[in-house]
Amino acid sequence: MTRDNRLRRLPMALSALVALTLAVLPLPSVLEAFRPDFLVLVVFYWSIESPRAGGLTLAFFSGLALDVVQGVVLGEHALALTLMAAWATHLRLRLRVFSIFSQCLTIFTLLTGYQFVLFWVDGATGNPVTTFGRWLAPVIGALLWPPLSGALSRLHER
Amino acid sequence: MVAFRNTDTSGRTTGLLLRCVLYSLLALALIIIDKHYDQLGKIRRLLSIVAYPVQIVVASPFEGWDWFRESMSSRGALRADKARLEAELRLAQFRLQRYDALEAESQRLRGLRDSTAGVTDRFIVGDVMDVDLDAFRERVLVDKGAQQGVFVGQAVLDSGGVFGQVARVGQLTAEVILISDATHAIPVQINRNGLRTVAVGTGDMGRLKLPYLPTSADVMVGDLLVTSGLGGGFPAGYPVGTVAQVKRDPAQSLADVDVKPAAALDRSRELLFVWLKPQPAAQASTAASPPSANSPPATLIPAAPATHAAPATHAAPAAQAGQPERATPAPAHPPGGAAKPAKTPPPAGGNDE
Repeated sequence: MTRDNRLRRLPMALSALVALTLAVLPLPSVLEAFRPDFLVLVVFYWSIESPRAGGLTLAFFSGLALDVVQGVVLGEHALALTLMAAWATHLRLRLRVFSIFSQCLTIFTLLTGYQFVLFWVDGATGNPVTTFGRWLAPVIGALLWPPLSGALSRLHER
Repeated sequence: MVAFRNTDTSGRTTGLLLRCVLYSLLALALIIIDKHYDQLGKIRRLLSIVAYPVQIVVASPFEGWDWFRESMSSRGALRADKARLEAELRLAQFRLQRYDALEAESQRLRGLRDSTAGVTDRFIVGDVMDVDLDAFRERVLVDKGAQQGVFVGQAVLDSGGVFGQVARVGQLTAEVILISDATHAIPVQINRNGLRTVAVGTGDMGRLKLPYLPTSADVMVGDLLVTSGLGGGFPAGYPVGTVAQVKRDPAQSLADVDVKPAAALDRSRELLFVWLKPQPAAQASTAASPPSANSPPATLIPAAPATHAAPATHAAPAAQAGQPERATPAPAHPPGGAAKPAKTPPPAGGNDE
């Protein structure tokens, strides 16, 4: 089991790195609000798929990386991602038997929770983002879940 | 980049809960420390070095494409470009002819009047990196950092006017907060009559607001706003924008004034990081003792730009209503924002280290 987990860490780290790159990829400012949280989805995937391989550690450090590249208060995304990845891990057994639609709904809930934690920390640290745009990301992320999880499962089953 | 260690192979729910609580506490501690103390600057700088390759990788295809397009551009296009640039240079040189003399004169007059308005000393050019930061905040990442001597609170200009100020410094990069960010305010002055006020960002790159002008204030569409140099963060006399719209509702006590920024906030690629000239010793000692040395009204009025300043009687009452206390240029957001204007003059001497 341990050996298996160790084998999974390479695709985990690689996919996280690619997702991080996608998170800072420049987009036309019209599309910027529609950018899905790729890294968050990837972290959710690994928390659900192989929680024993260190999903929470991945979540924490991915969040920290997001904090650094986005230039917000250090720990903001780390906190949100850790909490939501833990929740995803908790739900993982149920999630596997869900229909694809219910899975999307669950992911939507998790992403909304993620945005809510960010919203809360933003407000608590004194620079609230009150535009409606940020609540769009969960919808897009949920729609993106089926293709993304499919691609990732192909990646680590090889 | 991510070190996977210390994995709990038991994977039971109790372990999950424990780790979740542990990591959350760690994250919370980071947030609190980062917010309230300045201790994390070094760690953040180190982390920004780690993030730098990612940002480079992301930015490079776009830069490569630019380079490719440039090297493939036709001779005709290059010649046209050259002709245009030469024309611009001629015009600029023509405008510059009297600049040195005027600046010297301005300095002398300022000296006579004990004005403490900051004057540009030197600058470096930084390129905006093709990297998106937070989608909901007006910030850009620039490829100059602590290594080049960039410091937090430093004024940033582009060829059109004031662009913003440095919000955060990494080892090799700096984050610049635009003047149009909703948390940014910059002390300005109407060039025509010297009326002082504060221009506040709106979150929209094409628009600033002057929220503290009374309905009776003498402001017209087309008025040029320049930096007043109050607060010490920005050099005085640089264009900030032109008044685009003035709405006066008799029922309100404050006018609703929209400003179009002079800098090309959404297009500029090259930015100037400005160092202010250190104050002469006599002035510096008076200016340095109280952090708000720039606020006594006596020094406020002479701070008008080199153009003919309005009669003081005109500027003073209007400015009183216009909240002169808010004249500190501060993005409300970066940690220690209030202390910044006081901090800005010392590094001005060019400690380039």
